[in-house]
Amino acid sequence: MNQRLSATLCAVVLLTLPASAHHSFAAEYDANQPITVSGTVTKIDWTNPHIHFYVDVKDPSGTVTQWKFEGYPPNMLVRQGWKRDVTLKPGDVVTVFAWKAREDPALGAAREITFADGHKMTAGPPAGTGGR
Amino acid sequence: MRARAAALALAFALAASAVLSAQKPSAKIPRGPDGKPDLSGVWITGALQLLIGEDEARKIQQADAAAGRTLPPPEPAPYNADADKQRQYFLSRRGIDDPMARCFISGVPRITTRPLPFQIIQMKDQVLILYEAHHAFRIIPTDGRKHPDDIEPSFLGDSVGRWDGDTLVVDVIGFNTKTWLAGVGTIHSEKLHVVERYTRDSADTVRYDVTMEDPEVFTKPWHEHEIFRLRANERLREYECIENNEDLLRFEKLLQTDPTLRAK
Repeated sequence: MNQRLSATLCAVVLLTLPASAHHSFAAEYDANQPITVSGTVTKIDWTNPHIHFYVDVKDPSGTVTQWKFEGYPPNMLVRQGWKRDVTLKPGDVVTVFAWKAREDPALGAAREITFADGHKMTAGPPAGTGGR
Repeated sequence: MRARAAALALAFALAASAVLSAQKPSAKIPRGPDGKPDLSGVWITGALQLLIGEDEARKIQQADAAAGRTLPPPEPAPYNADADKQRQYFLSRRGIDDPMARCFISGVPRITTRPLPFQIIQMKDQVLILYEAHHAFRIIPTDGRKHPDDIEPSFLGDSVGRWDGDTLVVDVIGFNTKTWLAGVGTIHSEKLHVVERYTRDSADTVRYDVTMEDPEVFTKPWHEHEIFRLRANERLREYECIENNEDLLRFEKLLQTDPTLRAK
C-alpha cells in the first residue's frame, strides 16, 4: 500500500468515526484490553468533563483493588436516563464492562454497568470513538 | 440482469428524490414573518448514538432509510504534503494533542458535530447559535453587514450570514490555529475560510453543508455534510469542561512513559 493511499484510507476511517464527548479514546485507553470486573461502588465524582466512580474489587485471594472508572459527563448521562445519587450509589454491587487505561493499571473507560438486579446502564462511549 | 436493472432504476430514483428534496424544501417547514425558513429549535447531529443512545439513534437511521435521506460519503481531507506530515504526526500520537482534550472551544465546523445539542434562535436581523459544548455561542448578523475590519483571530472566528433562497449561508473567517476541524490532526491556518449552508429541508431536519478552504494546508476545498435533527423536548444543559479535567495530568504522565508518544 503506498503512503498516499494509506493516508487517504486513514482520513476516511477518521471521518467515519463517531465523535467523542471530550477526547480521543486511544490517547488514554487500549481498545484491545476490554475488562469486566465486579465489586462494590465506594464513591462517585459527578463531574465534568467525565464522571468517575470507584469500585472495590476483591480477587480470589481476598485482596481488594480499588478500580477507578471514567464515564460520560453528567449532561450526557442524564439524557440516557441517569439521575445523580439515584442511579449509582456507594454500596451498590455492580459489574463494569470497560477498557483498560494504557498507564494506570486500575483505571478504565467504562462502557456499561450491570446492577445486582440485572438491569444495565450505559456509562460511556464505545471503544475507538473520539477525535471528531 | 432484469433484477440488476430494476435495482439500478430504484437506486437512480432514490438518488433523484434525494436531490429533489435537497433542492426543493418541503412546503411544510416553519417560516418566519419574512417568509424565510425558521431554523429555530434545539438540534443534534453527528454521532447520535453517543447522545441519545443506540436504540434511539437506530430509529433515526431507519427513518432516514425509509425517507431515502442520505449524505454523500465522507471526503478525505485534501491536505498538501507539509500539512499531511503534521497530521500524520498527530495521528501517531493517538490524538493526545487534541485541543478539545484541553477544554479549548472547538472551532467551526467541529463544534457543530460534537455529540452535544445546540440551539438556534432566529431573529429578524441575526441568527444566534448557542452550543451546549463549552457554553459557546455565535452571533451571526443577517442584515447585510460585512466582516469587520478589526478581527482578532479566535476559536470560532467571525460569522456573517445571508439568505440564498431558502438556505442560510454563513461565511466564517478570522480563526486562530488552536482548533482542529473535524478529527485528529485536522489542522488549519489563520487563512481558513469556512462557508456553512443551513437548509431546513423538512419539518424536523436541517441539511448542513460545509466548505472549508485554506490555501496554506489544503490543495482544494474540503466538504463536510451533516443532517441536524430537531429535538422538540430537549433543552440545553450545562457542560463545564474544565471542572475536573484529569486528562491533562494523565497526558503528562503518558508523554513521559510511553515511547510512542515522544516528539519526533
